[in-house]
Amino acid sequence: MTPHNPFILADGKKPTCMEMLQVIIDGEANDEQQEYFKNHMDRCLPCFKSYDLDMAIKRLLKSKCCGGEAPVDLMEQIKTQINQITPS
Amino acid sequence: MEEIVTRQNYSDKEKNEIFDSEFMPHINSMYNFGFRLTLDRDDAKDLVQDTYLKAYRFIESFQRGTNAKAWLFRILKNSFINDYRKKTKEPSKVDYQEVETYYNSEDVNRQITPDLRVESLKDMIGDEISNALNSLDVDFRTVIILCDLEGFKYEEMAKILDIPIGTVRSRLHRARNLLKEKLSEYAKSMGYKNTEL
Repeated sequence: MTPHNPFILADGKKPTCMEMLQVIIDGEANDEQQEYFKNHMDRCLPCFKSYDLDMAIKRLLKSKCCGGEAPVDLMEQIKTQINQITPS
Repeated sequence: MEEIVTRQNYSDKEKNEIFDSEFMPHINSMYNFGFRLTLDRDDAKDLVQDTYLKAYRFIESFQRGTNAKAWLFRILKNSFINDYRKKTKEPSKVDYQEVETYYNSEDVNRQITPDLRVESLKDMIGDEISNALNSLDVDFRTVIILCDLEGFKYEEMAKILDIPIGTVRSRLHRARNLLKEKLSEYAKSMGYKNTEL
């Protein structure tokens, strides 16, 4: 018997592998969906490979594309303008 | 999807407390978002400054203790579309009809980048990933920034961008495929062969 797919949406449409993978990668899956996908990945080679790749890209984006600091004078400029609106 | 906004009645002291404790801690993320949208450091500064001034002006629409970061990102995104894009006359290049058609087609499970491997990503220690992200059209770039860099949930992204959650998902899916295509080009230029995974 095929297990119930908890990714099926309200309209009854069966999700594709990539749709399920995205929900998992983005941490949007509930416990039931995570469990279902874990079992699915054991039987689906494309999902197994894509999972590693997509997670690696997500980690790379996080480590290389953020973390920069705003210019030091920016906060001061903002505070100065705010103080002009509401003199304390 | 318009929400009913309950206006708060803050004293000047409370306004300044909210501004300092709930808004200012997000300034680095805001600047990064501004920079990734405009791809110019001076424009990013202006955009962030403008956003914070608007946030202060409309602070009574903000309910203390709610998601300040999402609220600020929404203001910045709107400022970018209404002010910056108009000023620079940059048109939206995304054909969303095409995006939806693509996403709903059988083609969606096609492995677009069979040559992109996890190993090749490990050598991308320079600006490759950043350049790949910056090369995407701004609407695709935005969903990746919000989701992968800033960790917003789909529901928060839908509110920030004023689009349904289904559109968040489909745009994100398309954006990631485009990003993989770019990374694949970098991988090829770095000498990785087009071998099957």
